[in-house]
Amino acid sequence: MNIHITGYGLITSIGLNTEENVASLRSLRTGIAKGRLDNTKAYNVGEIHLTNAELKEQFKLQTDGSRTALLGMAAAKQAFEGHVLSDQIRTGLISGTSVGGMDVSEIEYKNYLNESNHNPDNYKHHSSGTSSEQIAQELGISDFVNTISTACSSAANAIMMGARMIKSGTLDRVVVGGTDSLTSFTISGFKSLMIFDDQWCRPFDDTRKGLNLGEGAGFIVLESDKSLEKTGKKPLARLTGWSNASDAFHQTASSPDGHGARLSMNEALRISELQPGDIDYINAHGTATPNNDLSESQAFQGIFGTAIPPFSSTKAYTGHTLAASGGIEAVFAILAIRNGYLYPNLNFKTPIAETGLTPQLDFEEGKNIQHVLSNSFGFGGNNSTIIISAV
Amino acid sequence: MYYIHSIASISHQDSFNVSNVCSKLEKLGQESEVIAPNYKEYVPPASLRRLSPVLRMGLTASIECQNNTEKEFDAISVGTALGCLRDTEKFLVTFHTATSDFLSPTAFIQSTHNTIGGQISLGLKNHAYNMTHTQNNVSFEVALMDALMCIDEGKKQVLVGSADEQIPFLELMQPNLIPDNYPLTSGASFFVISPEASSASVCVQAVAVRFNPTDKTGEIEQFLANQQLTLNDIELALYADQLPVETNEKTETLNFLEYSGLHYSASAFAMHIAHDSLKHSDKRYALIINDMCSDKLGITLLSKQ
Repeated sequence: MNIHITGYGLITSIGLNTEENVASLRSLRTGIAKGRLDNTKAYNVGEIHLTNAELKEQFKLQTDGSRTALLGMAAAKQAFEGHVLSDQIRTGLISGTSVGGMDVSEIEYKNYLNESNHNPDNYKHHSSGTSSEQIAQELGISDFVNTISTACSSAANAIMMGARMIKSGTLDRVVVGGTDSLTSFTISGFKSLMIFDDQWCRPFDDTRKGLNLGEGAGFIVLESDKSLEKTGKKPLARLTGWSNASDAFHQTASSPDGHGARLSMNEALRISELQPGDIDYINAHGTATPNNDLSESQAFQGIFGTAIPPFSSTKAYTGHTLAASGGIEAVFAILAIRNGYLYPNLNFKTPIAETGLTPQLDFEEGKNIQHVLSNSFGFGGNNSTIIISAV
Repeated sequence: MYYIHSIASISHQDSFNVSNVCSKLEKLGQESEVIAPNYKEYVPPASLRRLSPVLRMGLTASIECQNNTEKEFDAISVGTALGCLRDTEKFLVTFHTATSDFLSPTAFIQSTHNTIGGQISLGLKNHAYNMTHTQNNVSFEVALMDALMCIDEGKKQVLVGSADEQIPFLELMQPNLIPDNYPLTSGASFFVISPEASSASVCVQAVAVRFNPTDKTGEIEQFLANQQLTLNDIELALYADQLPVETNEKTETLNFLEYSGLHYSASAFAMHIAHDSLKHSDKRYALIINDMCSDKLGITLLSKQ
């Protein structure tokens, strides 16, 4: 059975829609800059310069929610545009998020600590599950709602869960992806881990020091063969491979040889019935932390040997959007296949000494791209891979 | 078939390592506490010190399940409604009150929902599929749906469970966001599910979730009809506060919140009760109806083969 992709949408610091994202990717324009808000101004972040009220207005959102939920609605609405709900097509929404409504809760909790104007009612947006229910409500989807929360692999896992539910026959059509807003909680958290680069991040470069955070959301629509007959939608690409495996090495760090990453990539290739040589482009996890990029590079060498296909991290454009990254990068993968794009790995100068790998350096188009492999790795050693293929 | 092979629950009941949890159940008072096993028998003291209650409970229950299972788990699916609340609150306090640039990262690291699943993979050195689902009161049910799908895909030993923890701050949410007619509690229940019967006799026959159901009775009847059953076949019905269907006089009914207390993944503990009840009686079918949040309905059917 085929898992067809019939819609995609995203919002990132390099664009509020597909066209803007592509324009930025093409012109090597990053979204990472000094933050403009009180809690972001000390950092280089991939911030979306719309307030919550502006988000609601721009995307005509009817449902209230945290910023995480609103970003999710903006992307999911774009993905679901042109789709029609029907009793005959069981439609679900599966979203990945790591912070849920923390952007609201952390402000309210500060009021609590300051013993001023504490309004517990505002915690109604806190639960990650609630943010997905709000996105589903905005789209009118109620057959199934699920939230995956596995840190930075959440969206990739949501995509995988959706594919499996279609394959099992539980759903006909499902909107899958992820969303995360910038919060003081995550900014302080990654600061405490000391894995920020105070400069613009440099994925896969020998001098890389750490990541820049970003915010955003990315969703795609998956449909079964049967659903396609009813919706009449034209497939844009196919989801052919997916996998999740545990590194079981450390709560936050990756194993030096990328054991979990290898397991995940291998299994995704097996499910897609592809050989490593069939992959035309890899969208790497590539956070630009010293640990991730070395570990992921070693895993590439383990899987692809010396014939590593063009690969790049797009996180020097968007920042690391945490739970949303797998959704945003799935949209980039679809665009790569549809338009023959290869995305440059911005800021790369010197290969990592141990591995010597050079990523894709220029924006290219018109390439023949049949299969894209996309990695997302999260805390807890949670490693996920999806493979998107041409129709 | 999805056979339940091993169960480990840590709850406010005497539920850990007991052969029949039903024989020990007592209605909870307002001041009940978690009846904890000796965690040191499961987790090295150096690790244990860093672990919040929800992590201790989830990890220990999982290790106990693995101890009772010959093979390694080939998939792990965890449900949690609110995740690692203690570490979340701890880190909120840390960064809101920080006076220097140096913050301890431990609480942040352990605040993500999948710390429970991650600690299980680390503790068991398990490299398999590892998923964390969070969907308010149906968090356990969606984790269970995933686990059954894993079995359909060919997995043989799937660990599925849920864990949630109570923190005093939650009491501030009562009664507007969280009902206050039951004590807030913590709990972790984990199960090993396998397609092979061997010594097991009780199965998860089916599980479903419904969002914004307008006719709960109709949804439950339809769910049972899909299994060629009616409400008359159900000999034990477990429910959350109010039973949304009418059952006949032969059906034993049990409000599981009186025993689990309130946390939004408590239906996992209800499944433990249902399993033990079927195993130790002539009953054939037990139904768990979970509408703890009125707009989300979880339905789980257990049967004895």
